[in-house]
Amino acid sequence: MDWECCWNKIEVNPEECPFIAEGEEELYTVHKRRVIEKCLECPRMAADLKRSQESGAPFSDIMPLLIAEFQDQKARLNSMGSFLSSKTKEIRFLHELGLVLQTSLGLDEILSTALTAITAGKGFGMNRAFLLMTDKERHCLKGYLGIGPRNYEEAWQIWQEIDQNKASLKAMARNFLETKLSSEKAKFHDILEKLSVPLDDHGHIFNRALSERKPILVTDAFHNPEVPPKLASILGVDTFLVMPLITRNRRIGIIVADNCITHKQITPQDMQSLEIFAFPVAFALERASLYERVQEDLEKLTSANEKLKEQQDIIVRMEKMALVGRITSSIAHSIRNPLMVIGGFARSLLKNIEESDSKRGFLESIVREAKLLEDVLEEVLNYSDSLFPVKDMWDVNLLVSDVCRGLQGEMELHSITCSIEPAPGLPMAYIDYKQIAFCIRSILGNSVNTLANGSAIRIKTVLEGGDVVVEITDTAKDIPSEAMDVMTTPFSATQELGSGSALSMCKAIFDKHGLPFDTVSTADGGRRFILRMPGKKEEA
Amino acid sequence: MAKLLVVDDESNIRLLYSQELSDEGHQVVTAASATEAVEKLAAGDYDLVVLDIKLKNESGLDLLQKIVKERHDMPVILSTAFSCYKDDFSAWLADGYVVKSSDPQELKDEINRVLAKKAGRSKAKE
Repeated sequence: MDWECCWNKIEVNPEECPFIAEGEEELYTVHKRRVIEKCLECPRMAADLKRSQESGAPFSDIMPLLIAEFQDQKARLNSMGSFLSSKTKEIRFLHELGLVLQTSLGLDEILSTALTAITAGKGFGMNRAFLLMTDKERHCLKGYLGIGPRNYEEAWQIWQEIDQNKASLKAMARNFLETKLSSEKAKFHDILEKLSVPLDDHGHIFNRALSERKPILVTDAFHNPEVPPKLASILGVDTFLVMPLITRNRRIGIIVADNCITHKQITPQDMQSLEIFAFPVAFALERASLYERVQEDLEKLTSANEKLKEQQDIIVRMEKMALVGRITSSIAHSIRNPLMVIGGFARSLLKNIEESDSKRGFLESIVREAKLLEDVLEEVLNYSDSLFPVKDMWDVNLLVSDVCRGLQGEMELHSITCSIEPAPGLPMAYIDYKQIAFCIRSILGNSVNTLANGSAIRIKTVLEGGDVVVEITDTAKDIPSEAMDVMTTPFSATQELGSGSALSMCKAIFDKHGLPFDTVSTADGGRRFILRMPGKKEEA
Repeated sequence: MAKLLVVDDESNIRLLYSQELSDEGHQVVTAASATEAVEKLAAGDYDLVVLDIKLKNESGLDLLQKIVKERHDMPVILSTAFSCYKDDFSAWLADGYVVKSSDPQELKDEINRVLAKKAGRSKAKE
C-alpha cells in the first residue's frame, strides 16, 4: 500500500513532510522523534490509518485508540510541565524576595520591595497595591503607601519602562525606594487618607481579614453588602484582594491589591501565592519595626553616654578649675594683707614727710606700686571666683536694682542718673548671683568712669524667647569694636597686667556660663551692653 | 569724733587703722579676736565697729550676727581682703563693706557715711 504520510521512512526530504517547520530540520533524519512529534498528529497519517482500517489490516482498529490515548497523556504532561514551570518560577521569585527581605532592615526598604513584588510583571503582576499599617497610637489602620499607575497612560508608560528594564527584584525595589517612593506616597495621598479605618470597626472588610487571619477576595464590590460603598468608590474597582499581614502575635497591617487597569481576574492561585508571600513580608515589617525601636534606643543610649562623658569632662575640668581657683585665691589673699600694710604705712609716712625730702620719691613709688599690685590682685581674685560658678534661680529685676542701689553714691558724686525699666512678670534666671551682680556692677562702674558728669544710664530688662535679657545703655563715646574686643579679653593689656579691664572678667564669666556678652553701638553714638541669661534651669 | 572698735587678727593692720583713724580724730580701740571684741563691746560704749571677716579661728560674719542680735543699733563696717563676700547674704547685715586697701580713704569715707546715717537716725528718734 502507498502511504500518504512519511511515517514509514527512516529519512525524508522537505517535500515529503511539509509539517516540519524551520528550526526542526533534525526531524528529517531522526525517525522516532518525527513519528511521535509530527506523524501522530499528521492528517496524512490519519488518512493512512483510515485506509488501513478499511483494508482490514491487523491492529488497524487499535492504532487510533492508542494514538488518542497518547495525545491525551501528552496534553496532560504538557499541562503539568507548564504548572511545574510556573511553580518553579514562583518559588524562584519567592526565594529572591526572601533574600531581599532578609537583607532589608528599613521600613521603607521592605515596603518598596513588597509592593514592587506585588505589582512587578515578574512577580504577582497586580496593577496596583496599597499598604495600610496598624497605628497603635491612633488605634486605626492607616494608609501608608500606594504603588501602581493611576490611569491607562501612566500604566502604558510604566509597563514600557519595565519591558525595557530587565532588572532584578532587588534592583527594581532599590530604584523604587530611591526615585519613586516619595512621589508614589504623594500620588496616592488622597486615596491613602480615605482608606484609613478604625480598628474597632470590626465589621469592616479590612478588620475582618485581620481577625480571620486570611485573605479575602472581594468581587462585585459596588453591590457587595460586605463592602462599604465608600470603599468601592475610593478604589474604583469591583474586584480586589485584601491580604492581612500578620506575624505570630501582631497585626502589622493589610495589603489591598487590584487590577484596576487590565481588569484581569484574580484567581484562587493568585490568592494562594500572595498568602505565601504575605508571611515573610509581615515578619520583615515586624523586624524593621523592632530594628527601628532598637536603633532609637541605641541612639538614646549613645546620646546619654555622650552626655555622661561630657558631664564627666565638665566635672573633671571644674575640679581642676576649682583647685586652680582655690590656690590662686589663697595666694592672692596671703599677698593682699602684707601689701596693704606696706602700701598703707608708706602712705602714712608720706603724709608726714617734707616735700623737699629726697626720700619722698621712694615712698611715692612704694605707694604707687602697692596700689598697682592691689589692682592686679583684685583682677586675679575676680578671675579665680569666676572659675567656680554656683548657679540658681534668681530674680534679675531685683538683682539689677540691688546693684544700682550699691552704686548710687558714686553716681550721685558724678551727677549721673540711672533709670531702670524692669519687665513685668519676668521669670527667674538660672545664674550665679554674685558673678552676674559683679558683671552689672563692673559695666555700670565702667560707665560712671567713662561718662561725662550729668550723663544718663538706662537699664532695661526684657524677656526674649524664654531668655532674660538685661540691656545697659549709656552715652559714652562710641568705642571702636577692636578696642571693645581688647577690653573684653582677660588680661588683655599683658604688658601691664594691672590695667586689664573688669569688662574682660564679665566676658569670661558669661563665656563660662555659656552665654553671649554683646556690646553694640547705639544710634546716638553710645554703647549698649546686652546680657542674655537663660530663663529656666538647663536640663541635666 | 567717734569711738571706734577695730577688730582684725593682723597686728600690723590694727596698727595701721589705729594710726589712720586716730589722725581723723577718732578714738580707736582694737581687738585681735571675736572673743576680745565681745568683751570690749560689753565693757565700753562704741559708736561703730570695723570688723574683719576672716579672723584666725573665728568668723567675722558670726560676730556680725551676734552684734546685730545683741546690739542692733551698733553700726558695723566689714573690712576684708575678700571682695566676694559683698554679695553674701550674711554680709548684708553690715552697714558698710570695704575691701582692704593700702589707700584707707574708702574706709574713712564709709565710716563718715555710716556715722552720719546713725546720727540722722538718732535725731529722728529724739
